[in-house]
Amino acid sequence: MTATPAATPSTPQTVQPIAALQAALAAEHAAVYGYGVAGALLTGGNQQAALADWRSHEEARDTLEAMIVKLGATPVAASAAYTLPFAVTDARSARRLAAALEDGVTQGYLGVVAVSDTTLRTFGALAMQTPAKRAAAWRGTTEAFPGMAAGTT
Amino acid sequence: MLAASTTTLPLFLALSACAGPNPLAGPPPLSADVRGLFDAVTDEQNLIWIYKRTMASYSAMAPTLGALLAEHEAHLTQLRAMIVEPPGKTVPAAVTKKPAVPAAAATAVAQLHAAEQSASTAQLRRLGRAAAPLAQLYASIAASEATHLTALSALAARSPG
Repeated sequence: MTATPAATPSTPQTVQPIAALQAALAAEHAAVYGYGVAGALLTGGNQQAALADWRSHEEARDTLEAMIVKLGATPVAASAAYTLPFAVTDARSARRLAAALEDGVTQGYLGVVAVSDTTLRTFGALAMQTPAKRAAAWRGTTEAFPGMAAGTT
Repeated sequence: MLAASTTTLPLFLALSACAGPNPLAGPPPLSADVRGLFDAVTDEQNLIWIYKRTMASYSAMAPTLGALLAEHEAHLTQLRAMIVEPPGKTVPAAVTKKPAVPAAAATAVAQLHAAEQSASTAQLRRLGRAAAPLAQLYASIAASEATHLTALSALAARSPG
């Protein structure tokens, strides 16, 4: 007799590594694009922070592309343009956008945690901590469940 | 996007799932997922205890610490909600670590920082053997605790020694 999970009816137990990594890569592409928009509306220290974050997302994008190629797949390409989640017209909305971009990347890496491979799980879990910290910095507050869908807790 | 949410992770973990009763077999062993959840619950309870004690000693830090405490209480609520308790079995409720609150504010914050770091690392250690939705919950909580480290570092920088 052993204790077992009783049911997991609506959430898949595991996902395919390539699909999860591609989703994370797509989020990184969006972040690279979005920081270009946000950075143009920020000044001073905020602009410097946006520039540093933009470069970090480029590095993360390159890392994910290399991982996907190593798995034998073609990395998803960046879109020519992205629809922003809301109008970005000033520094305040630019900071909101930066936080939203980081939330998206955090969510992307949380998807990687759902794969069965332990190494990839750990990679996803560690990788999501950096955008979670950036999101908190841009937002000015921490969150109880970074990467989880908003409004569900 | 591979989204996860705490309400769409219906991982209800039963403490027993017996194919048939065997009165001589003793209590059923807990599954790895349930053991991990029990450990995670205990870790959160320990964190909540130390936050409350620190806030009681250093009221000036209560606004910052209170926000982090509220998130740990949310973690605990979510972790406990993942477990179905059959009659006669209960999720651990005891605090297992009760360190003294240091006499200096900076040292007290450093103690919280160390506790958060330890808890976050423990969440990551649980990933490998957990069901996927549970692993995502652990990872999300670990990320939350990582953001707490940043908040505590900022608090330490402006706290008197």
